[in-house]
Amino acid sequence: MVRAYSQEHTYKHPWERVTAASWRKFSDPANKRTLSHIIEVDTLSHKLERSSGKLYTTRAITVHAPGPWFLRKMIGQDICHCVESTVVDAKSRSMQLATRNISLEKFIEVEEKIRYDPHPDDPNGWTICRQETRITIKPLSALATMAEKIEQKCVEKFQHNSAKGREVMERICKYLESESRGISA
Amino acid sequence: MGILRDSNRSSSSATTPCAHLRTAYHNCFNRWYSEKFLKGQWEKEGCISEWEKYRQCLSQHLDNKHLSRFLEADVVVDLTDQAEFKSKTGVS
Repeated sequence: MVRAYSQEHTYKHPWERVTAASWRKFSDPANKRTLSHIIEVDTLSHKLERSSGKLYTTRAITVHAPGPWFLRKMIGQDICHCVESTVVDAKSRSMQLATRNISLEKFIEVEEKIRYDPHPDDPNGWTICRQETRITIKPLSALATMAEKIEQKCVEKFQHNSAKGREVMERICKYLESESRGISA
Repeated sequence: MGILRDSNRSSSSATTPCAHLRTAYHNCFNRWYSEKFLKGQWEKEGCISEWEKYRQCLSQHLDNKHLSRFLEADVVVDLTDQAEFKSKTGVS
């Protein structure tokens, strides 16, 4: 049983600002309350490819376990570890992120892919964000009989969180915009 | 306000002792990303001492073996091989 959905969002900010905001999204203390499902974000590795201008980063994201409360009770764990891999290509101006859970994977698999590219209608002023999410409940897990309900709950939760994520991104972009105006003024 | 954290167990995790080193590194990284990397100055790595201190702390406190293998040098997940990665690790 798999549920997949995709979302698209246009930020009316240049690609550079949006990707800078993306790095700050989880780590800015100001957003802790909005993104309260995020407990901790650690950078585990990073690699700069000097010849090509590509930056590879792996981060650990610890979140409150997805799904309804009874799911957390059944699996006996209320936090979930995810690994996020990011590639930023500064030359071609693209940023790709892929996140998936590495705990609770016997019960559920969540995979989220996000891409930030310059918007074709205004490559220097706008940024397009494309996001794909796949949620799979493992068929042999104890949760299988409730899987469909749980998946639906998870999807709702994820969509709610990603809406909050966009709200935070917009806020950081505005902040960065005013900061850059302040410097150049 | 309200239900910020309902369980003490989850509000702090193993890497909390590294919090201030993490903040120092992330602040430095954010600056380097905007002011150097995005402006084409990617031949020089930034924040090296911040990273070393932070990484050392992580290697002491990160007790999750799934996560700590990423601390070993140069383990970078290739985004184009997601499906392959999954099939390799998904065998149970």
